[in-house]
Amino acid sequence: MIIKGNVNGKRVSSKDLDEQLQKAVKEGTRELTIQANGQHGIGGRIWPRGEKVKVTIEGTAGQRVGSMGMEGTEITVKGSSSDDTGWINCGAAITVLGDVANGAHNAGAQGILYVQGGGGARCDTMTKKNPRFPDLQSWYFRDMGDSFAEFKAGGIAVVCGVNPRDPENILGYRPCVGMVGGTIYFRGPIKDEYSKADVRVVDLTPQDWEWLTANMRPYLQAIDRMSHYQELTKDINAWKKIIAYTPAEKAKAKGKLKMGLTEFRLNVWEKEVGKGGMFGAYLTHDRSVLPYITTGEERRWKPVWKNDKYLPPCAYACPSRIPSHKRATLIRQGRTAEALALVLQYSPLPATVCGTVCPNLCMTDCTRGRIDQPLNIKEYGAAALNLKAPKKAKATGQSVAVIGGGPGGLSAAWQLGLKGHTVDLYETSSKIGGKLEMCIPRERLPKRILDKELSRFAEIGVKVHVNSVVDKKKFEKIYKDHDVVVIAVGAHEARVIPFPGSENVVAGIDYLKEVNFGKPRNLKGKKVVVIGAGNAGMDIACQAYDHGAESVIAVDVQKPASFGKEQEMAKERGTQILFPKVTEKYDAKAKKIYFMDGTSLDADMVIISIGEKPVLDFLPADIHADRGYIVVNDLGQTSDVKVFAIGDATKPGLVTHAIGQGKIAADKINSLLMNYDYVPEERTVIPYERVKTQYYEVCRTDVKFTPRKEADRCMSCGSCRDCGMCVESCYYGAITRKKLANKSYEYVVDESKCIGCGFCAGVCPCGVWEMAENV
Amino acid sequence: MEPASRLDQNHKLSLKEFPYIIRWREDRCTRCGRCTAVCPVKAIEPAVNIQRTVTSEGSSPEPKVTRRLTHVVKQSTDIERYCIGCGTCALVCPTEAIFPEYNFQHKFYHFKNKGGIPYMRGGRRNDPSVSTLDKLKFTRISMLTDPALDAGRHEFRIRTLLGRNLSADHLPIKVEGDRLTVDPNVFVPPVREIYPIRIGSMSIGALSPHMWEGLAMGITYLNEVEGLPVVMCSGEGGMPPSILKSSAIKYFILQIASGYFGWDEIIHALPDMIEDPCAIEIKYGQGAKPGDGGLLQAYKVLGLISKIRGVPQFVDLASPPTHQTKYSIEEAVAKMITSMSMAWGFRVPVYPKISGTKTARAVLNNLARNPYAAALCIDGEDGGTGAAYNVSMDKMGHPIASNIRDCYLDLVKQGKQNELPLIAAGGVGKAGNLAANAAALIMLGASAVDIGKYIMQTAAGCFGDEYNRCNVCNLGKCPRGITTQDPKLYRRLDPDKVAERVVEVFKAADVELKKIFAPLGRSTELPIGMSDALGVGDKDIADRLQISYVC
Repeated sequence: MIIKGNVNGKRVSSKDLDEQLQKAVKEGTRELTIQANGQHGIGGRIWPRGEKVKVTIEGTAGQRVGSMGMEGTEITVKGSSSDDTGWINCGAAITVLGDVANGAHNAGAQGILYVQGGGGARCDTMTKKNPRFPDLQSWYFRDMGDSFAEFKAGGIAVVCGVNPRDPENILGYRPCVGMVGGTIYFRGPIKDEYSKADVRVVDLTPQDWEWLTANMRPYLQAIDRMSHYQELTKDINAWKKIIAYTPAEKAKAKGKLKMGLTEFRLNVWEKEVGKGGMFGAYLTHDRSVLPYITTGEERRWKPVWKNDKYLPPCAYACPSRIPSHKRATLIRQGRTAEALALVLQYSPLPATVCGTVCPNLCMTDCTRGRIDQPLNIKEYGAAALNLKAPKKAKATGQSVAVIGGGPGGLSAAWQLGLKGHTVDLYETSSKIGGKLEMCIPRERLPKRILDKELSRFAEIGVKVHVNSVVDKKKFEKIYKDHDVVVIAVGAHEARVIPFPGSENVVAGIDYLKEVNFGKPRNLKGKKVVVIGAGNAGMDIACQAYDHGAESVIAVDVQKPASFGKEQEMAKERGTQILFPKVTEKYDAKAKKIYFMDGTSLDADMVIISIGEKPVLDFLPADIHADRGYIVVNDLGQTSDVKVFAIGDATKPGLVTHAIGQGKIAADKINSLLMNYDYVPEERTVIPYERVKTQYYEVCRTDVKFTPRKEADRCMSCGSCRDCGMCVESCYYGAITRKKLANKSYEYVVDESKCIGCGFCAGVCPCGVWEMAENV
Repeated sequence: MEPASRLDQNHKLSLKEFPYIIRWREDRCTRCGRCTAVCPVKAIEPAVNIQRTVTSEGSSPEPKVTRRLTHVVKQSTDIERYCIGCGTCALVCPTEAIFPEYNFQHKFYHFKNKGGIPYMRGGRRNDPSVSTLDKLKFTRISMLTDPALDAGRHEFRIRTLLGRNLSADHLPIKVEGDRLTVDPNVFVPPVREIYPIRIGSMSIGALSPHMWEGLAMGITYLNEVEGLPVVMCSGEGGMPPSILKSSAIKYFILQIASGYFGWDEIIHALPDMIEDPCAIEIKYGQGAKPGDGGLLQAYKVLGLISKIRGVPQFVDLASPPTHQTKYSIEEAVAKMITSMSMAWGFRVPVYPKISGTKTARAVLNNLARNPYAAALCIDGEDGGTGAAYNVSMDKMGHPIASNIRDCYLDLVKQGKQNELPLIAAGGVGKAGNLAANAAALIMLGASAVDIGKYIMQTAAGCFGDEYNRCNVCNLGKCPRGITTQDPKLYRRLDPDKVAERVVEVFKAADVELKKIFAPLGRSTELPIGMSDALGVGDKDIADRLQISYVC
C-alpha cells in the first residue's frame, strides 16, 4: 500500500497522513510505502500485536520518524531523516539510508536505529534502559555531531567512524555530559573533551567484541555496507568503549580535586615561593599542625607550684610579719613546741602583745574569718608565755645602743641581741617595758605576764641601763661608743588643747603612769570627764572607775576611735561616750566643762587623752625631725646613716607597730653590720579568692582553743598544706610529690603530660598553684 | 563598716549581663580540663563547689549533714574575661558536657567600657537580620522566551574585566590594508580578565601566616589547576619578597593604604619582579569602620609582622583614616593613581577603594574623568575588620546595595557603565549565600565583588557571627588560628586545608553562579546591571534600587 504525502499538488497534513497510516494498519495492511513530503512522526505508535509492519519512507521524511515506535514496526527511510529520528523509541527498528539530523534516538528506550551516514547534534541523549525489554541500539556508520549521548542512561550506541567529517574527532564536541548508563562503542579518534566526570574510555572485552562482531553483520546488511565488514571487525584494538562511572565510583570521586593541595604545595607553590612556603624565611617553627590540646612547650599555659609566693593575710597584716600559718603547718606536722617557739624569732613579747594587748590585726584579716571565726592567733601568743629565749648567735663584736626600753626598743634590742651583737639599752625610768609597763592598766596586762617576758632579755644578754636619762651630751657619748644607735624613745608628752582652763586639766598619760606606779589619786565620788575617747581614753575611764569615780564621760570631736576590749571594759563600768563635742572651756571653780554646741557637763576632774608627742630635746641638728617626729624611711633609717629611729618617736602607732619597726630596723642594721645586702620583704598579700574556703566546714559554735584544732582550721593561705589535691585532680597524672632534704618536699609537673588546663590551680585549697603563660 | 566578705557582690556583674552563658553539665564532665585549657579568654576556669545538705532519714526528725565538695568548671563574671561564645570548649569536650549559649537579655555593651575604653573588637556589624542583598531574588527565569542555558551541561566562562575599558570609539584601532592594528602611540589602559568574586583585602598581620598562605595557595591553585582566575588583595601589610618575586604575584592585588606598611619591601623587590601584580588597590576607607583608620593591635605585631611591615615589635600600628599628604579628592586620586601607575610603567590597573558612603557618587564622578582610574571599589557597612571600635562597626557605614546601584546608574547617565568597573564589597555571603549575593550585586551594576569574612568562615571555620560570637580578631587570641600571630594558635590551622577549602568554595560558587546566570541565557558575559532580572518583595527596596517589586 502506498500513502501519498502529496495529493493533487497539495501537502497532506501530518495529522491526516498519520490517520491514513493508522487506519491501514488497523485494517490489516502490513507493508506500506509512504511518499513523504516532510510529514512528522511517520511510523510511530503502531501496535502490530505480535505481527510485523513494514514502513518504507520515500521522499522527504519530516521530524521524529518512528517517534514512539513500537516493537514489530520496521521503518526504512530511503535517504536522510530530519531531527529526532526515533524519539522515545519503544521498540521500532528504524533504518535510515542516509544521515540523521539532530537528536536521533533522543529519549529512546527500546528498538534499533541503523544509520548509514552520521548523526547530528545531541544524538542518543536521554536514552533509557528498561529491564523488561532488550536494550536500545543506535548504530552510526560515520561520526557524531556535538553533545552526543548527554544524560544517556541506557542502550548501546555504536559509532563506526568510517569516513568521518572531522577526522580528528568522531564523537563531536563534549560528548557524554551527564551520562549515567549504557555503552558506546566507537572506532576512531576523539578529543579530550568528553565528560570525564561522568564516563571513562576503556578497552573492549572479548564479550563486547563477540556482541559487536555478531551484531555488525545485520547492521551492515541493513545499510548496504557489508563491504566494510572485514575492515570493521578485523581489530578489536581499533575500537574503544565508553561507559559511565557507577554511582559508587562517582560518590568516591565526588569532591575530589584534580590535584591534592599538599601535592600542589610541594610541586607548584613551593617551587614558586621557596621551600617552607612564602613565610619560610621568617618562621622558626616547623610547618606541622598543632592540635587544640597540647603538652610541653606547645601549651599556652603552664602550672607553677608557687609555694609561699604570697604572704597570708595574717602575716601581711602583722607589722612583725609573724607567720602564723607556719605555726599551724608545724603543729599539723606534730611539731608543736617548734611551732609555738617560732614566734620568738619575730617578737620578744608574744604573750604580752599578741596574747594580751594587741588588737590582733592578723585575726582581723584572717581568711578563716570570712567563713566563721578567725584563727585564734591571740591564744598562740599567750601560749608562748613560758618559752625560753632562743639560742643566741655567736658574738659579732659589733655594738648597738638602743635608747628607750619600750616595745620598739625592746624589739630592736631583742633581734640584735639574738644575732650576736652587743646591745646597750638605755631606759629613762627605773623599769623597762615603756607604755606596757607604765600606761596599760594591769587589769588588761597582768604584771606577771609582762615581767615573765621581760625576763627573757637577761637570757640573751641585753645590757639594760635603767634610770638613764639621755640628754644631748649623753647622746653624743652613746653615739660615739656604738656602731649603731636606735632611737626608740616613744611619745610621752601629752598633747593639750589650749582652751580656757586647760591648765587645770590632767594629762591622760600622766594619770595612767600614776596608777601603774602605785600612786593613784582618789577619785571617790567624783565626776570625771575624759577628752578623747580613743583606747587610751577607755583605759583612763576604767582606771577612774576603779579608783572611785562616780561617773566617767568620755567626749570626742568625732566618732570615737576606741574599739575592742578597751571600749567594752569601759562601757561595762558605765562609761558614757558623747560626740561630737568640741571643748570650749573648763571652769575648774564651777567644776563645769563647756562645749561649743552650748552644752556643758559637771566635771570634778578633766583628763585629756588625745595623744602624745615624743620628747626629742637630745637630738643633734643633723637628725631631721618634722612636726615633732623623727623622719625615717621604711627601714627606720634617719638622716644620719648610723642612727635609726622606730616606734612612736617617728609616728604614733600600736605596740605591735613599734615591735614590727624594731624588727625591720634590726634586720637592716644587721645587714649593715654584717655587710650583706638587705632584701626587704616584697611579697604581697594573697588575694582572698585564691584560697578555696569551700573546703572548710563552717564552725557553728565557738571553738575551744587547742593548738591542734586551730592548726586544722588554718587555711594555710598561699602555703602548701601537702594535701595532694592537685595530684588527685590532675586528669593526666602530670603532678607528683617529690621529697627533698630536711623533711622538705615540692610538687612537680611532668610537662609531657600536662595540658595546661589549670585544674591544679583552680582546686588548690591554699592557692599555691598558679597558671603562667608558657613562654 | 561591713566586713569585706559581705561586700563581695556589690560591684560584681551577674552572669545574666553576659552575652554568652556557659552551660556546663556536671553529670557528663570528666574534669579532663580540655575546655579550660583551650578557652582563648579564660572565661572558664576550674573551681571548687560545695554542697551542704541536711537530710533526715529516720521516722522522726534526725538531721544529718552531708558535705559534698566537687571540682567544677566555672564561668568568670569579670567583664574583662567575658565568654565570647566561640565554643572552642564544646569543640574539644569529649563528652558534650559544655557549650556557650547566647543570652538575648545580655547587657554587655553597658559594661564593656572599663577604664573609659570603649568596646573594641573584630568581625563585622552585629546585625542578624536579613540583609537587603539576601532579600533580592532572581525573578527572570527564561524558559520559552529566551534561549535558556543548562548550567549542568553548557560551558560557561564567568569572567569580569578589571581596568579601564575604552569605549569602541576611543580604542586606538585603525585599518591598515585588510587588517586592524592598534596605534602604538596611544595609551591603552591595562585591563585584566579576572573571576568576578575576589578575595578582598586582608593583610598579613591581620591574618596569621598560615591563614594568609592558605588563601594565597588556594587562589594560585584555582588559577593554575582549575583555570579559574580568582585574585586576592594583599591588604595593607606588604608581602614577603618570596611571593613578590614569584610568578604567582600576578594573582595578587597589592594594596597601599595610609599606613604605607610594607611598601619599602615592595619597592625594593620591584626590579626583581618577573610578573606584574594583578592590580594596585589604594585604600581610602573600609566599610566595616568608615572614617576610622586601620589598626593592628600590638598583640599581633610580633616578629614576622615587624619584619614584613618594617616596624618595631609590640606597638599598635595605626593607619590613619586619611592619607597624610593628600588634602582633596582631586589631589588624592590624581597623585596616588599616577604614582602607583608609574611604579609599574602604567602596565597595572590602579583603583581606589572607599567605604560605602553617601559621597561615593562624588568620588565616582571624579574617577570617571580620570583616564588612569581603573575601577572603583566600594566597601559597604557589612564588611569585616580585624580591629575597630564597636560603635564604628555597628553604627557607621552605608549598605552596599543602594550605594553600588546609585553609582552604576550615574555611570549609565554618562554612558560610561562599560568603561569604569565598580567593585562591591561588604557583607557578600554574610548569611552564606555567596553566589546569590554576588549575582545580585552584579545585576545591580557591580563588575565584581569582594569577600573577606565569608572566606574566613568557609575556608577556616571562623566562629564569628552576627550575634557577636567570638569576634576577638583584634586581640590575637583567635581560637581558630586565623587572626593571630601566636604560633601556638595559628599552627592549629593547616594551610593546605585552608587552600583546599578556598578551591572548593570557589568551585561551588561557580556552579551556583551558573545556576543563576543560565536561565538568563548568559554564559560568557556577566549580566552587569541586568537589573530586570531582579525582584524583591519589599516595595521600598524595589523603588530605591529601581528594580521590580514582586509578590
